[in-house]
Amino acid sequence: MKVVIAGAGEVGTHLARMLSNEDHDIVLLDDSPEKLSIISGDVDLMPVTGSAHSFQDLKQTGLAKADLFIAVTPFEERNVLACAMASYLGVGRTIARINNSEYLMPRYREKLSNMGIHELIYPESLAAKEIVASVKQTGTRQLIEFSNGKLLLLGIKVRENAPILNKTFEELALENEHFLVVAINREGKTIIPNGHDVMMNGDVVFFISTRNEQQRIFELTAKTTFEVKNIMFLGGSRIAQKSIEKLGDQYRIKVVEEDVERCQLIAEKYENALVINGDCRDLKLLRDEGLEKMDAVIATTGNSETNILGCHLAKSLGVRRTVAEVENLAFMSLAENMNIGSIVNKKLIAASYIYRFTLNAAISKVKCLTASEAEVFEFIAKDETKITQKPIKNLDFPSEAKIGGIIRGEDAYVAHGDTQIIAGDKVVVFTLPSGIRKLEKFFK
Amino acid sequence: MNIKIIARVLGLLLLVEGVAMLLAFAIALGYKEYDQQAFLFSSGMNVVLGSCLVFFTRNARRDIGKREGYIIVTSVWIVFSVFGSMPYVLSGAIPNFSDAFFETMSGFSTTGSSVLSNIESLPHGILFWRSMTQWLGGMGIIVLSLAILPVFGIGGMQLFMAEVPGPTPDRISPRIRQTAKTLWGIYMIFTVAEMLLLWLAGMDLFDAICHAFTTMSSGGFSTRQASIAYWSSPAIHYIIIVFMFFAGTNFTLSWLALRGSFSRFFHDEEFKYYGFFVLLFTGLIFIGLMLSSYVGIEPAFRDALFQVVSVMTTTGFTTVDYLTWSPVLVALLFGLFFFGGSAGSTGGSIKIMRIVLLLKNSYHELRRMIHPQAVIPVKFNKQSVDVKIITNVLAFFMFYFAIFGASTIVFTLIEPDFESAMGAVATSLGNIGPGLGTVGPAENFMHINALGKWFLSFLMLLGRLELFTVLVLFSPSFWRE
Repeated sequence: MKVVIAGAGEVGTHLARMLSNEDHDIVLLDDSPEKLSIISGDVDLMPVTGSAHSFQDLKQTGLAKADLFIAVTPFEERNVLACAMASYLGVGRTIARINNSEYLMPRYREKLSNMGIHELIYPESLAAKEIVASVKQTGTRQLIEFSNGKLLLLGIKVRENAPILNKTFEELALENEHFLVVAINREGKTIIPNGHDVMMNGDVVFFISTRNEQQRIFELTAKTTFEVKNIMFLGGSRIAQKSIEKLGDQYRIKVVEEDVERCQLIAEKYENALVINGDCRDLKLLRDEGLEKMDAVIATTGNSETNILGCHLAKSLGVRRTVAEVENLAFMSLAENMNIGSIVNKKLIAASYIYRFTLNAAISKVKCLTASEAEVFEFIAKDETKITQKPIKNLDFPSEAKIGGIIRGEDAYVAHGDTQIIAGDKVVVFTLPSGIRKLEKFFK
Repeated sequence: MNIKIIARVLGLLLLVEGVAMLLAFAIALGYKEYDQQAFLFSSGMNVVLGSCLVFFTRNARRDIGKREGYIIVTSVWIVFSVFGSMPYVLSGAIPNFSDAFFETMSGFSTTGSSVLSNIESLPHGILFWRSMTQWLGGMGIIVLSLAILPVFGIGGMQLFMAEVPGPTPDRISPRIRQTAKTLWGIYMIFTVAEMLLLWLAGMDLFDAICHAFTTMSSGGFSTRQASIAYWSSPAIHYIIIVFMFFAGTNFTLSWLALRGSFSRFFHDEEFKYYGFFVLLFTGLIFIGLMLSSYVGIEPAFRDALFQVVSVMTTTGFTTVDYLTWSPVLVALLFGLFFFGGSAGSTGGSIKIMRIVLLLKNSYHELRRMIHPQAVIPVKFNKQSVDVKIITNVLAFFMFYFAIFGASTIVFTLIEPDFESAMGAVATSLGNIGPGLGTVGPAENFMHINALGKWFLSFLMLLGRLELFTVLVLFSPSFWRE
């Protein structure tokens, strides 16, 4: 597939790298030759210097023959305009990065689509969604809901007090048929387990389950859930603002932000938040504001290091729930090992959101498991596809991937070897990046 | 340093060379000459060794970094020349290994200097292989492998950039593999077109194929001792002139032209300068020849044009022994040794783009003397050129002349005649072919001793990989972890 990406910022370069490694033809457009020369030094792509909203420069990228145009420059209006122009020049599909939730409203979607802007992506909003989910669901590292919560994915860190430690997955599966372990993160590596693998202390284990059964998983992993009431945000970035908006009124929220003007803005916008003007690295200030009494601390300053250290500090003071925004990919596995709770990365979130448009199979949802290499797909099984021919155990499914569960109409099931997938099912599949191409065969 | 992947890539490339030798073997079979066994044996050696390397490194990590890229590219050219010289040695065409290595490196680097003094006596297989080495080396061994082998993946890009450094590399398509395929496609089209035209103009088919190979690669090996002078037909001369000119043109431009957009061709600044230099030097030499009462206007023009295009594109064919011209004309032609073709062509030497950038930058330096505060960007093709590129070009220029000067001094110890030494060094470093004095167009390189041949072979390699790729291996920081 030929993909043109406008904007060699963080999201753009991450996408370019990922898609190029997957054998897509990438053209990267940016007005800064320096940025392009850095990325073109180690990724196989064609750099084009130019503006995203110039017909001349867009033509240079060979848009007319491209399948996908992704505008991820830092400027919303430029992205929207670029997508409209790209559609006019004949690209198959366009995706614009926006900073404004107004565009996401259903009643404007058609108008935007008429302008040639087919899909919208709002990374800050997606990140905020993850933050809100992890605040609401205590005890887990990551929670992903499929089909309005009919099927759940729970990422849980297993500690030494968990009763299920040192059991093989075969034994576990025999004892509990209502959940399934689909992936483990161990020492920075992601494993798709087979029956003989054993759960070990310190693993982050990804369970698939239904809502009724999740309590059983918390029991087995010795996790207690608790109600979050007091939340402190370190840094009032756009992600923080979006999260506060999504959290609503039932929480007591404090925001510590260095910039006075931004403080003003947040205080005006969100009545339920107490805004403190100060440095997030000022320990005395944080203690004065009652850091240790918080139920949750969410670090979303623009600086990954500050976020990691802030969450580390909060954890050591006894805060039970922490979420750190870590944008520096190299820090992700380091942060994972530092015991600082959940991590969000808006680049990865945005990239996996866009990723589905490059696959040929029918996909309704893509998510990446934070701090791991695995991705989760919700495929729609169509008639005549390979996946519907045999029960799962006879499918010869790639070892890098695992079917977690299926959603059939109103009901959700955890997958077993004997499960037969039929047309119309939504199938939740976990896979390492190397397995993605192989999966396509089963669903096409 | 990922030694295994280096060995693996070398193994794969040896297989490619083995297959290329089989083509020469087919020719030898067809002509039923004594060189059949030599090719079969050389090819077998390549295939066996290549397969072993590939087999034993099958679990190598796939990442090729910058360092591995430089090592692979430099060593590939050396390894190719070592194994490529086997048919010469085994068939007895060139029994001495030093001579055979020189001939092969001269082939792969598209230099065209030869140790042979009786080319017509050689079997057809050997002649074909000789032209083939130039054809493979012209567009580049790595570029060929990228186009035909699906195994390189991301590492291919590091290799491509090490083999095709150029001041400003331009990409034809998003995938390096696709770019390599396109380049080879154009190369093929030109080669076949030239072959057909030469054949129509009266060359026999075998000579037409060999000369098409060595023209498009700007190589300069001929199947005749007298080079192109063997044919007196003006048509053949003009055909070769035209294709030498295309070989020295940026292949990206030719690709655009083949797709129908000629406007880029005539708006390209490098192409304009390239054309201008050809016309300027042809004019000067033509006038010089006329003043020295040369035979006829048309032959004088044709000889001037042929020699100018041949030397400037670093091909090295000759239709006349230019050393018999008056000294000023020889000096003019020797000046052309340092021009070369366009960036992105098969031509070697300094290359037009670098020369134009340097001239512009130096001229702007004069303007900066008068307006010390002025901001004067160097522009090329209406775009301002990054200072990094200018610095890179200056460094290239410095290295080029430092190496030329030092090598000339060293080489006078081997070849006592100063003019010949200078000619031999310049022609090797620029991948041209004929030099001055005792290595002029009518002579050959046989009389230079073994040490001298190895030295010149090294200069050819340096020149072909545009200095940096080889020189970087000599910098201590390259080997420091």
